This record gives sequence, C-alpha cells and structure tokens, in this order.
Amino acid sequence: MPSPDRPDLSPTIAGAAPADEHSGDGFGVRFRVRHTTRYDYAEDVSVSHHLLHLTARPHPRQRVRRCALTILPGPAVQSSHTDYFGNTVTYVAMQEPHRQLVVTAESEVEVGPPPTLDAALTPSWEHVRDALGGLTGPEDGAEVVQYRFDSTLVAASPTLQDYAALSFTPGRPAAEAALDLMQRIHDDFTFDPTATTIATPMAEVMRHRRGVCQDFAHIVVGCVRAVGLPARYVSGYLRTLPPPGRPRLVGADVSHAWASVWCGAEAGWIDVCPTNARRADQDFITIAWGRDYDDVSPARGVLMGAAGHTLSVSVDVEPLEEDGAP
Amino acid sequence: MGYGRGEVYDEMVTGQGRLRPHWQTFMGTLGPLDPELMAERWEEARRLLHQNGVTYNIYGDPKGMERPWPLDMVPLLIPSHEWKAVESGLIQRATLLNAVLADIYGPQTLTRSGRLSPAVIHADPGFRRAVHGIAVPNDIHLHFYAADLARAPDGRWWVLSDRTQAPSGSGYALENRAVMAKVLPDSFRHCQVERLSPFFEAYKETLLSLSPRRDQPRIVLLTPGPYNETYFEHVYLARYLGITLVEGADLTVRDRQVYLKTLSGLEPVDVILRRLDADFADPLELRADSSLGVAGLIEAVRAGNVVVANALGSGFMESMAVKPSLPMLCRHLLGEELKMPGVAVWWCGNDDERAYVIEHLDGLVVKPAFPSLSFEPIFGADLSAGERAALVERIKARPWCYVAQERLALSTAPVWQGGRLQPRPLVLRVFLCARPDGSYTVMPGGLTRVSTESGKLVVSMQRGGGSKDTWILSGRRAEATPAMPRPQPAQEPQPAPKAASADLPSRVADSLYWLGRYAERSEGTVRLLRSTHSRLTDGNVPGASLQLRPLLHLMAWEGMIPWDLTRVTALGGGRALRAALYSSVVDPDHPNSLRAQVQRVHRTAYSVRDRLSLDMWRVVTMLERQSQPPPHKLDAAAMLLRLDDLMTCLAAIAGLEQESMTRGQGWRFLDIGRRIERALHIISVMRGIQVHALDRQDEPVQVATLSVLLELGESVMTYRSRYLTSVRRRPVLELLLADESNPRALDFQLAALERHVAALPSGSQAVPGDTAASARSILGAARASLRAPDALDSGAALHTLLDSLALSLPEISNLLTHAYFSHAFARPA
Repeated sequence: MPSPDRPDLSPTIAGAAPADEHSGDGFGVRFRVRHTTRYDYAEDVSVSHHLLHLTARPHPRQRVRRCALTILPGPAVQSSHTDYFGNTVTYVAMQEPHRQLVVTAESEVEVGPPPTLDAALTPSWEHVRDALGGLTGPEDGAEVVQYRFDSTLVAASPTLQDYAALSFTPGRPAAEAALDLMQRIHDDFTFDPTATTIATPMAEVMRHRRGVCQDFAHIVVGCVRAVGLPARYVSGYLRTLPPPGRPRLVGADVSHAWASVWCGAEAGWIDVCPTNARRADQDFITIAWGRDYDDVSPARGVLMGAAGHTLSVSVDVEPLEEDGAP
Repeated sequence: MGYGRGEVYDEMVTGQGRLRPHWQTFMGTLGPLDPELMAERWEEARRLLHQNGVTYNIYGDPKGMERPWPLDMVPLLIPSHEWKAVESGLIQRATLLNAVLADIYGPQTLTRSGRLSPAVIHADPGFRRAVHGIAVPNDIHLHFYAADLARAPDGRWWVLSDRTQAPSGSGYALENRAVMAKVLPDSFRHCQVERLSPFFEAYKETLLSLSPRRDQPRIVLLTPGPYNETYFEHVYLARYLGITLVEGADLTVRDRQVYLKTLSGLEPVDVILRRLDADFADPLELRADSSLGVAGLIEAVRAGNVVVANALGSGFMESMAVKPSLPMLCRHLLGEELKMPGVAVWWCGNDDERAYVIEHLDGLVVKPAFPSLSFEPIFGADLSAGERAALVERIKARPWCYVAQERLALSTAPVWQGGRLQPRPLVLRVFLCARPDGSYTVMPGGLTRVSTESGKLVVSMQRGGGSKDTWILSGRRAEATPAMPRPQPAQEPQPAPKAASADLPSRVADSLYWLGRYAERSEGTVRLLRSTHSRLTDGNVPGASLQLRPLLHLMAWEGMIPWDLTRVTALGGGRALRAALYSSVVDPDHPNSLRAQVQRVHRTAYSVRDRLSLDMWRVVTMLERQSQPPPHKLDAAAMLLRLDDLMTCLAAIAGLEQESMTRGQGWRFLDIGRRIERALHIISVMRGIQVHALDRQDEPVQVATLSVLLELGESVMTYRSRYLTSVRRRPVLELLLADESNPRALDFQLAALERHVAALPSGSQAVPGDTAASARSILGAARASLRAPDALDSGAALHTLLDSLALSLPEISNLLTHAYFSHAFARPA
C-alpha cells in the first residue's frame, strides 16, 4: 500500500553550539545534516519501491558540499534523476524479503545569509500579479507561473481568499503583504502535532486553526495563490540554537517545511516560515521545493506483503568548523 | 420514401430531397424497404452481436453492466474522394498533436517563447510532470489517436474532439463490420467497401516495432478490468491482435523491468498497449490511491526497458484549452495551414477570448477546459440573468478552467426506426495509428454513433445512442480492380490466434481455481437445499420425517440456518424454520445463502470473462438471474422448481468445463478447484452428519441418515444398481469415500488431484521445487489412509480419519496459492 510519510516531530539530538559559523570564503554557515528514516514492518515485505526526496538542493544561497544516501538492507536498485522542479529524486527498489528499512541521508551544506530585503520597496502585489505574463530570463514566465495554480493538495477556495485579503490589501508592497500573512498565520494558528495528519484537508486546518509546519506552509501557499501570485512549498531542515533565556524554536532539528512567495522579478522568491514567523535565514537548509508536499515528500513507497509499519525519523543538524570538523 | 429532412446536412439526401449519388448502389442492393425484411435483418444482426457477446458498460448504473451493443442496419456511406480529404486532414492533425506533445514533455519552447500560455500546461491537472523529459522511441507519444468528427451544414467535416489518452471504439467498429458483412453481404460486395484488416495489421506492426527487445517481444494490453465501460473491446482487441490481456495486478516491476506474473514465473514485458488512464498507471509516481496500476512502471519506462503506447501523458492533448491555438501551432510546427477545422473554441485563460465569451454567452456552450475538471456543459442560452452573472463570476475567478464552444448543428443519417428510415444526428469517430517511422495511417471506416432522438445535440453511447458501421466506398469498379496479390477473405475480420497459454497470468489461474471451487460449492448447497425442501413439501416421501432431522442438522452445520431450528420435527416446519430456509436460498446478505454463493460464482467468472466461452458466460448469467430474489415470495413447490433450474445451470457449467474447454493450464486450475471443493464437501458432510456415531443409532435413523448421504452424494442410483440391498453403513461409506470409480467419491477427487499436481508447471524459478512434492505427499497419505484395513469399520477410526483429512486437504490450497498465484517472493530469471 502507498505510504506517504510525513515529516514528523520526533526526538532530536541538539547540535553543539558553533564556535565560528563561517567558512573560509565567507559564503555562509556550514552544517552536517543526518536524517534517518526507519520503517519497521509487521511482516516480511517481499518487494518495495520508494521515491526519496532527501538530497539537499543547491541554490544561490546554498552550496551542497557532499551528500550521501545509505539504505539498509542494500537495495536491488538505486537510481537518481532530476524531477520536474529541479530536485534530485532517488528511486529505490528492495527485492529481497525485509522487515526493516533504514534510509540515512547525510549531507554537508553551506548556507548563505538571505539577501537584504526592504519589503516596503517591493512593487505592489497587484503589479507583481499583472507582470507575470511578461517575465523573461532564467526565472521566466513558464518557470514562475507554474506555482500559481491549484496543485494536488492545495486548491484555492473562498475561505483562503478571504483570509489572504486581510494581508493583501490594495496597493500593498508584495513582500510586505507576504510577511504580514506569515505573521498572521503564526499568531492565529496553534502548533499542534496531534491535530492533523498528512491526509487532513486544508479546509479543516483553516477551521480548527491548528496544525504543523507543513499545514502552515500549505496555507501560505494557498492564500498567496488565491490572490493570484505564485507560491512554492519548501521542504528542508531547521537548525535550532537555544541560547540561555530564550525559548527553543518550534520545529527544531526535524524535517521542516516553509513557503516561498514570488515578489516580482527584482526581489524574486522570498522564503517565509509561518511556523516561526521569520524569513528563512542561515538556519534553514533546503532539500527540495515543489507546488506542495505531494511533489516533494521525503519518502513515499509502495510495499508488497506488509500489513502495517511503524515509522521513526530522526534529524540531526550539526554546525561545522571551517575545516569541516564538528 | 417519407424520409423527413431538416435544416441540417443529410448524409443520404440532398437539400432537394434527391438521393446522393454515392448512395445509389447501396439503396439498389437493399431493394424495396420492406419492413418485414428489414426486421429480419435486424434480428439476424442482433443474434450475431449476441452470439459474439458484444456489450458495453454504463458507469454508475448497476443495471448498465453488459448492455447489448446497439447497431443500426444502415451503414454510413462516405465516397472515396471525400474520405481522402478526411484522411489527409486527420493525418496532419495527429502529426501536429504529437509534435505538441513532444514539446510539452520535452524542451517546452512553445510556452517559454510565449506562443502558448504557460497556464495551458500548468493549470491542467492532466499534465504529467512525472514523465516530463523521458525520451520516447522515435519521438512518438501518440501511437493511437481518434477524432470525433461532425459535419457542418455546408458539408465540411469538423473536428469535435480529440481522443489521445487511450482511444476506444476501434474494436467496436471491427465488430460492427463483421456483423454487417454477414447481414448485408450483397450490398457489402457491390459497394466496394474498403477493408479494415490492413489497418489492424499496421497496428500490430507498430506495437511490435516499439519493443526494445527484437527477439520475440511480449506485448500486453493493460485494461482497468471488467468494470470499465469498454472492457468488451479490450478483450476483443487483445484476441484480435494476439496479445495478452492483463490487469495492473498481473504485472510487477523488478530491476526496472516490467514482468508478467505467469504460472511458469515472471516473464519480461516489452510493450504495453495502454487502455488505462495515465493517472492510474503507477501508484508510486502518479496517483498513490490507484490499485489498477503497476508500482515502478515509470521507472521502467525511464530506464528504457518498456514502451507504453500511448506514452504516459498523451492524454494532455484532450485539453480544450489548447484547441484555439492549434491553427497557429500548425503553422509554427509543421509550416502548414490546418487542413481540417476544429469546432470554434474560446479559452477563457486568454483575456481577449474571455471577453468574447462573456459577451456572447447566449450563443455558446461552456465546458471544462481540462478533461479532469468534469462538469456538465452549460448552455448559455438556458441561463437566467442570475445564473448567468454567477457563471461570469466563476469564470473570472478561475478563467483558465473554462472554455466556450460554438453550438453545432450535427448532420443526419438515415436510421431504421419504427419501420422506416428516419434522419438522426450523428458523430463519426475515426481512428489513426502511428507507423514505425512516425507517419500516420487512417482506418478506412470508423465508429458512427447516432442519437436516438432527432433533435438531440449530444451523441454518446453512455447516454443511450446507437451505432453504425461506416463504409468508405473505394470508388473502384469491380472489373477495374487490379488483381489482388492474395484473395480477400470472404468475411472479415478473422481473429488472430490467442496469446500462448504459457502466458496465462497467475491472477487468471487464481480466479479459475476459485471459479471451480465456488461453482462446486454452489452445487453442494443446491443439493442440500433441494433435499431439505422436498422433505418439507412432500410428507409422502418415504422416511421424510426421519430424513429431515439430519438434513436440518447439516444445514446448521454449514451455517445456513440457526442451530435452534434443527429440533423442529413436524412436517412443514414452523414459521421460523420456513423463514430461515427461504432466506438460506435468496438472501444476498446471508453469507452462506445460495444467492451469496452464486454471486461469488458470477463475480469470479466476470473477472475472467475473456477466458470463458460465450456459452459458458451465458449459463453463468442465467444462473445469476435464476438466483435473484423473486419479486413475489415463492411457495414451497415453486421454490423446488427454482432449485431444479439452478441445478440445471450448475450442471451445464460443469458440463461445459468438461466438454468445451481446452485442456490447458487454465482448465487444470479450474478443475483443481472443483476437485478440492468436492473433496472438502464430502468430508464436511460426513463430519456434519456425525457418521462416526451412526452405529450407536437405531436402525431406522441409520437408514435415514445413510439415505441422505447417498442423495447428497448423488450416488443413489449407483448404490441401488450395485448392491440391490437395503441401505447399510459399510457399502455406503465404501461408495462415497473409497471408490475410485465413483466421480462423487472422495478417492476419485484425490486421484484426479494427483494427476493434476503431476502436470503442473514446475522447475521454473517461480515455483519452489517442494510444492508439488508436498502436495503429492498430502494426497498420497490421504489415499493410503482411506485404504487402511479398518478405516471405515470402527466409528473411532472413521472419526480420526475424517478429522485428519479436514486438516490436511486445505493445505493443498495454501500450497498452490503460494507457489502459483501470489508471486510475492518470486524472482526474475
């Protein structure tokens, strides 16, 4: 049976506080991330097929220095390709009876600071919307516009449109509206891992105002699309640094999800995290992006022979020294 | 001839009411339109269609399964010069649609350059991102294509819609032709009708050419299964083309290669003729909730190990949003003007077109832009002011979801209805297939669908229309025809031989096995019910009251009536008993009722319909009908008659199994099922009736019980002729258990199973070597225990014997399931 697995809140191992976060050339902060997904099956699984989005994605603010996937027991087939959104996706087939599957993704990445943004100076959201048709260049119309329409899990609705309208007021700069939306979702919604599952429809999340990072990211995406702008769903990790006296960030050292909003050709994509009410900065490590969770779920699979399984996920984000030593 | 004419173009007569020239030969051969003669022909056609089992299913209507296929007696005639224009227009269109697919699933220069709005791709839920960038052989995405055509009042053919996902109808067209060639042989010959078979030869050739493996490629037709509306056609085409019909569950992916699960193991598959919508084809990369597809299929395609035709994603060209751009795309991609016009469509995703639609709503039909957004067409003229404003709001909110189409006047063709010819609107579906070099060839003919009402603008088999054969008149005079290289067959089409039996999918063997078991189980149930009902109805049967007791006891043992009713002794029974007996026959919710068992037979037979003869299927259908709860409650005598009828159907099934089925592996599994079920039934009856405790009973009770055993074991006659004595324990047990020559005896079943097991496919990687050995040893031990010197003598020995057989024989079923059906642990060679 298909078993899309959702990033989970599971016990985490906090990383040691870094002495010097910056690498030699000043690009950004270096991390080693170890993400382990473990399935225990109730019975022998004879054959299973998996699709993994676990390889960190390079982008202008993120360098991927090393990335390795280890799968135990050893798979019969392991083969990677680039998906429609530019992410690396790995197909894995197990063809020997197995009762356990452990997937470990280990990557070393370097994350640069977010570009400075004067939200008030971005063009009005209506202007950004109306300029979509005339986009050229590498981030051309076809590339950006694909994130503007309904997707498998996120469909525009009057509810989303009404909620979005309070932030996307007439003439408001696009980035300002996006950040306001992010802040409102953070304030209006309660983080509650027991409230939703991956199958919970958005309408229900809107009604109960509870959920996890993934739900909140979907709501940003849905609201932004409801007013006619493109928005992406981003899957990745969040490093936590709990300094004394300050609260621990929710979503620490787990799979994390946030949203990216198109704010016009100049500002480009602005990453916003409604779960923590902040722009994605050097603590956010990007794995993949797509239209919604369904495009980039870390692991989905089809199994033959198993009645049920238990899943455990652990994520360890560890800052590294300049020479790569922890 | 009293043939009415309307404002529209009529295929047969001109505006002045004169017969069009190309109809003259046909009408001449048809002779005077004598209603009686036409009715005779119509009956003949119906008989042929019925004989060939031509049916289609209507979705969402339980009574819509297996509708007889409606065929009109007058074909649509198209002269060759007109057909040439249709051909060249559709070849160009297929080439164009394929070129658009190659761009959309490749470089996407059309959207990147702004020629096509990116929303055409990205707003369409039917765009399959998962297959983008996967190369297809010879850049052919669209191997099979069909277009629905309509004729405008000016006589030109227009394209109404394109079928690019998995076009259906060519098999029905073939069947229509087979029938018409038989019903109107003279007309068919004199009219010089173009043959269909060369098209299907090309079809097969194209499929073969796609195989990545040159040497003996295996081609399968992937169907969603018997509940699909055109399942009949899947069966028919698979037979006609000589390829294996499979469902998703028959296929598995190992090492990025698709395999067919057969009785002899996993066999590689090279080409998949797809009749399953792409969305359902791979639960790993497409719809995760699909149970019809094959996990890993896209990865196998990506690796180049299998070719799917049509390519996954080809359904994209059914989008209406792209239609307004086709003339421009044709100029851009092919450097030509579009030859055959499409019905005017405006896509609301473009500002100008949206403005036009809103302004001209009254004259337009609003439809979904993408096939997966399903809503009924909205006729602008029918809307109130309020509805109209609401529709405009909806369009403005999500403009890319809507298109509007011109209302179209369909041409009419003569349909034989109510004893005369009447003009009825028609839509013509024409079929094309890609050649290995990427060019296209057109089937000279098509599937004409007619509306049964004159004014109707929607023509659809799903909504109860009719069909016609389509004759393309070659225009050659008989004597001017150049000598044929080989004689034309007298009748076409001749189906190709069926796929090799080595390809019997495991699922089919599994279903046949269970069909055997369910049919046999139903037989046992009918016998028990019949015996019980006859004792209750007729107290004059000698020993009726004494025999009723063990019969009721058995019914309770088999879970058909509650135990507390078995103590009823009075003939006629109590009211509660009569109610319980009635429900044990007809109640579909009673898990052990006869009705429930027959439904299992029917369902299982349905799932392997393509493997059963038409006669067999007809008997199964009759059995199902006979077991339906009657509208009025039957009295006891009528119930007995009904049970007799059911027995006759079941006997006919058993007879056809023996007399009309080729002794292949399919038959073997069916018979194994029957033998195992019969063996288990005998043991169950013996145990249920407590035959081991019989010697402790009074003589009259003993006799009554043994008589019941003989009757249920269908061995009364044998016993009487052989023993000529009163009913006694030892000879009865001998006859029912240990007599290898009695087809109702346990030992007969065991001996038959031994022969079957010895003949099962073995030695392949799929079947663990010890399966046959284990089954043989179970059977051997069972037979030996029957022969043990005192096995049938003492009650205690008999008790032990029956109990141990009840444990060991079901194990054979488990062994077979594991070795041949599940393939869970099979490995490709």
